[in-house]
Amino acid sequence: MAVVCLIVSEIIMNSHKKNYPEGAKIKKPFSVVLLTAAAGVLAIPLLILVIKKLVDLVTGDLETFISTIRLLGQGFGFSFGIFFFTIIFSLPLGLIVAAGKMSKIKTISAFFKVYVSVLRGTPLMLQLLLVYFGPYYLFGISTGSIEVGPFNYRFIASIIGFSLNYAAYFAEIFRGGIQSMPKGQYEAAQVLGFSKMQTYFKIILPQVVKRVLPSVGNEVITLVKDTSLAQVLAVTEMFTQASALASAQVSVMPFIVAGLFYYLMNFIIESLLGFIEKHMNYYS
Amino acid sequence: MNILEMHDIHKSFNDLEVLKGIDLNVAKGEIVAVIGPSGGGKSTLLRCATTLERVDSGKIVIGGDVLCDTNGGKIRYCDKKMLGEIRTKFGLVFQNFNLFPHFSVRRNITEALIHVHRKSKAEADEICNSLLKKMHLIHKANEYPCNLSGGQQQRVSIARALATNPEIIFFDEPTSALDPELTKGVLNVIKDLAAEKMTMVIVTHEMSFARDVADRIVFMDGGVIVEEGPAYELVTNPKEERTKKFLAGY
Repeated sequence: MAVVCLIVSEIIMNSHKKNYPEGAKIKKPFSVVLLTAAAGVLAIPLLILVIKKLVDLVTGDLETFISTIRLLGQGFGFSFGIFFFTIIFSLPLGLIVAAGKMSKIKTISAFFKVYVSVLRGTPLMLQLLLVYFGPYYLFGISTGSIEVGPFNYRFIASIIGFSLNYAAYFAEIFRGGIQSMPKGQYEAAQVLGFSKMQTYFKIILPQVVKRVLPSVGNEVITLVKDTSLAQVLAVTEMFTQASALASAQVSVMPFIVAGLFYYLMNFIIESLLGFIEKHMNYYS
Repeated sequence: MNILEMHDIHKSFNDLEVLKGIDLNVAKGEIVAVIGPSGGGKSTLLRCATTLERVDSGKIVIGGDVLCDTNGGKIRYCDKKMLGEIRTKFGLVFQNFNLFPHFSVRRNITEALIHVHRKSKAEADEICNSLLKKMHLIHKANEYPCNLSGGQQQRVSIARALATNPEIIFFDEPTSALDPELTKGVLNVIKDLAAEKMTMVIVTHEMSFARDVADRIVFMDGGVIVEEGPAYELVTNPKEERTKKFLAGY
């Protein structure tokens, strides 16, 4: 009912708009105001129902809820670990791949072209499996005993897989950014006597960072959600935990909580990106 | 003494020959204006002299240092060290300024002084201040280029080219991107430099400016120098038919 009210009011509003010139301030007709209010009133019971259901889910068994949060929190630690190390490794690697793809030496650029093409053209899940099982099935290397600090090979393999894959995407973003730089910037730097390195790191790269930030942000946010793919390697990251808990409790509550965790993480990242973008707005 | 010597310069882009044997010498303190129709090779000549393009054959000497020479039909460029040396001897002002947008006006001017010429920050700042005063832009030192008008940006880029105290400055159509009012401000700055006997090569379409400020005008068309001579004489009394036709348009 509430939705119908909103749709009708939108239709009235649209036909009403035609009476006004472009860009003029539009006075809402009384019927639209009434319908919007009606929609609000009608929606209240629905909202109460949803909230009540959620509250029931949680307080139905408070102990289960708390232990769910605790277990998902542990899983989130792994998810965040994968995310964090992937960012650390894939961003510089992406820059190297981008430079390689733009190399004037044909064999180097061909190699990185194939790299990007394959890594973007095959499923990430498959790549993760390959990194994990590859050493044993291809070279007979047993990976079970490999440990780096507190991390086992499952965890390490997922970071390697994610980093290699995301580097390919970042490389294309960086390449686009670098190639969008006007030629005049290179020429001005060259005439002023800057070395190639100075030109790259002082003149070009700082401007590229600003240009690629929105696209990089896109990938970073996707990565947060993609960490759930690590469950194919049986890494006890958050989504693996949520699946296990959901089937144990016969409830969707763990998935909802996991969803909240993912969203919260991405909300923070989004705010951070917005902040950095604003910070770099001192020139246009 | 010649600051710039260009001898028998040839340059082709793929099959298109843009420069067909250019000879151009510029003496110390001399101001040379290069005029001519678009596509005549003016800008390419300037880009060859400023190391932005490599010539196919010919000889270029800047400030006594040989940038390139041709022996037995083979072009040879100087080594990297000499190239760096030569680049400190000239300044170039672009048509579309090419300021660094992420640097403040001050940093645009001081960056090369500090990181290429190894001057201290205080020294660089001092040079920057005196140049900005000369350009009537000292109050804009901490602004970013995007907040400046085109004329102001071009004056900053002139200051940037002057900062390293070059022996010669090249201008590549410095006012072509500006409206007539802003053009005046930039031309006045170049006039001031002329009064100080700065050696300059100016590619321009501002005929009356070339006539009044330059010592010599070179008229280029079709990749060759069609006519050259004292500025006033060439503009008021051109000899070649092609020059007459071109100047009749002004």
